[in-house]
Amino acid sequence: MAIEVSVRRLPPGTNGAYAQGLARAFAGALIFALPLLMTMEMWWLGFHIVPGRLFLFVAVNFAILVGLSRFGGFEPTMTIGEDVLDALAAYGVGIVSAGVILSLFGVLHWGMPLDEWAGKIAIQSIPGSFGAMLARKQLGSGESEKEERHALRSQGHAAELFLMLVGGLFLAFNVAPTEELMVISYTMAPGHALALIAASLLLLHALVYSVGFAGQHDPHKRGILASFLIYTIPGYGIALLVSLYVLWTFGRADGTDLAGISSAAIVLGLPASIGAAIARLVV
Amino acid sequence: MAERKKHSARTPLLEWVAAGIGLSLLLGLLGVIGWEALRGGPSQPPAIEVAVSRIAASGAGFVVEFEARNRAGSAAQSVEIEGVLSGGGPPETRSISFDYIPGHSRRGGGLFFSRDPRQGRLELRAHGFQTP
Repeated sequence: MAIEVSVRRLPPGTNGAYAQGLARAFAGALIFALPLLMTMEMWWLGFHIVPGRLFLFVAVNFAILVGLSRFGGFEPTMTIGEDVLDALAAYGVGIVSAGVILSLFGVLHWGMPLDEWAGKIAIQSIPGSFGAMLARKQLGSGESEKEERHALRSQGHAAELFLMLVGGLFLAFNVAPTEELMVISYTMAPGHALALIAASLLLLHALVYSVGFAGQHDPHKRGILASFLIYTIPGYGIALLVSLYVLWTFGRADGTDLAGISSAAIVLGLPASIGAAIARLVV
Repeated sequence: MAERKKHSARTPLLEWVAAGIGLSLLLGLLGVIGWEALRGGPSQPPAIEVAVSRIAASGAGFVVEFEARNRAGSAAQSVEIEGVLSGGGPPETRSISFDYIPGHSRRGGGLFFSRDPRQGRLELRAHGFQTP
């Protein structure tokens, strides 16, 4: 809060204010993308991922960015058209920052074919575009009247579940590229898997109600069992679906039997649940 | 409506520029990836050719620098490259493995031999790969 006071407020709706928003978006993109930009499995995914799945993921990510913009993008919006503009700008910020950082690291160079460039940048621009979209909420503040609209918009049940999906997708995406995910799922015994499901549910429930949703859902008002059924169970379902989608996109599910895919989804379900639970804090 | 109109009139020029740049970058990426998806690149198996690029003296022996080129669209993982130098003594066998050789890409490497490879017969070839 102390930061808000010291930031110089430019008049809203001007080029200056927008430039400030863009600068914040770049900062957010770097914070969210750097850990993955420095992960070599992510560089490799850029050329061995199935192109059709990457294409679909880029499109899904764009739709999610438009949705996120509704609930608090880097610039307050009124119309869906503005959300599309902001999502495009956030994607642009993600692509530019991924391209620049990967070139600085020497991961991208001129000897590479065009499809390798495109693959590496496309996959790495996803966390950056998330960061760019969330930067406004995290790093700055804006017009209070529009922000109230954002807050109102993001209170419905569907909106809560959408935010859970976004949070789960982001964390699952961050964890899934590394080999460790598969190693953990091979190491676990069935008992471990069951315990991990229980722990994920417990954490999700505890985080959503004691930390995440900041008093919006009073468990005493709704009853702990009812809130468990309304938010925690669907939330875990979303976390598992998101995990399966990420596993499929990264080709982790190929040639694996149902038991192997399930245990990988359960392992990935833990970070996805935590992402789903805290999404409300971040967005 | 009036409020909406007033608002869209205030959309700064920079917002259009940023969105336009974002749109063209996004379409560019989707274009390249979509083309790759339609062409069905990864369905042809990796085709790896190894060619000597330079032979030089190195320390007490010699080094053969080479380039491994994957002419197909799909990537190969853990590519094993072997060089056999025969003639003028017992054959010397050296090998090296590359983490990855992506489709339509080149990776460079070197093998050390104790005799001068220019005096004997040198054979370089790719042994195998893993599908990523």
